[in-house]
Amino acid sequence: MKINLRVWLKIPDAEAVTVKNTLIRRMGYGDVLADLGKERLWSIEVDDDVEDPIDLAKRFAKELVNENKESYLASMDCLVFDMGYVPVKVALHIEDGEAITTRDRLRNRLGFDMVKGVERSTVWKLYLNLEGSRDPHEIAKEIAERLLINPHKDFYEMLA
Amino acid sequence: MKIAVIQFPGTNCEYETLVAAKSAAVDGEIFRWNRPAQELCDFDGYVIPGGFSYQDRLRAGAIASKEPVMETLREEAETGKPIVGICNGFQILVESGLLPGVGGVDAALAQNVMVSKNQIVRRGFYCAWTTLRHDASRNRCAGTFLIEKGELLPIPLAHAEGNLVTADENLIDRLNEENQVVFRYCDEEGNSTPDYPVNINGSVQNIAGICNPEGNVLGMMPHPERSNFAWQLPAHDPAKKGGLGDLDASGPGRRIFESMKRYIEVRI
Repeated sequence: MKINLRVWLKIPDAEAVTVKNTLIRRMGYGDVLADLGKERLWSIEVDDDVEDPIDLAKRFAKELVNENKESYLASMDCLVFDMGYVPVKVALHIEDGEAITTRDRLRNRLGFDMVKGVERSTVWKLYLNLEGSRDPHEIAKEIAERLLINPHKDFYEMLA
Repeated sequence: MKIAVIQFPGTNCEYETLVAAKSAAVDGEIFRWNRPAQELCDFDGYVIPGGFSYQDRLRAGAIASKEPVMETLREEAETGKPIVGICNGFQILVESGLLPGVGGVDAALAQNVMVSKNQIVRRGFYCAWTTLRHDASRNRCAGTFLIEKGELLPIPLAHAEGNLVTADENLIDRLNEENQVVFRYCDEEGNSTPDYPVNINGSVQNIAGICNPEGNVLGMMPHPERSNFAWQLPAHDPAKKGGLGDLDASGPGRRIFESMKRYIEVRI
């Protein structure tokens, strides 16, 4: 079973603003990019026989989310996104040291014996102006390849 | 002769880099990223110093690589002017495709992964003195124009993402064949072994610095401006024996700036 924690800032996200500004002011996407959001995504693989996954997700969130500045949404196995934007997941295809460290700390220091693996990624939410003739997924693909990833260490995936 | 030291938001080594350049008798000034980029054409060479441009948002160097000054630097590089990228400057040059400069974006500088005896012993930010072996021939690269092949330079580094990786399985062979690997991490005798602490960040084949095929663009993770004066060397270094001595005495890092100066003189 996979527990997904989608985490986003309640305060303004400076990184998202910088990426948006770069796309609009430096890379010519002013006419197609209406807005841009960002979420961190933790996907935590746990034993299938976990009794109360919702409670477990809350306990994970207590460790991985700072609720003074962040909000989160938990889901089991599948991810569901709202309409109105293209969610682009970006993660490392090389070894992710932070994900490994998080897995080891959850399991060995914090007592979450049921954790089998941890994946960490960023979901960029591209709010695109749909009045143009171009396919939004085509634009999102272009943005991902031109800015959001370095293909020598990252990969991307459209989640909707 | 005048060089520009490029300052992006978050750059934090521009002043000492300019001091180092001036100590090598190279005049220069700090060039803010939001000045008209065309003003860069008035300079004879460029240094992109270390720091955390744009707070490393998205990826180290990714946002700065899209700034108009980088497009102008690309044009100036095509005319043969020298560019040296140090630490974050190296990351910016890689993200912009100026290094290794054989296609588009050909590589990445990923998180440090220190490996010893097949075990990962450490990851992430690291700050230490290291020894660099100059593996390019003399005159191959603008930033090491005066340095002989095989010379050793003690220079400190401080970074979290200096681990050169590439998805192109032929790239490293090509860099070796074309003499584009300028510096490798080694021990004090000049031996490059793949384990930490000699290979201090896990970089493929101990690579610490590379140049473009033309040799006028150099990127290196260690900070030569931090060993520009002899007094900056660590206490255990023999060059420092007997106290600080002459405060203007040069350290090994100055060779980079002296090389750049000589390259510009020859080119002019």
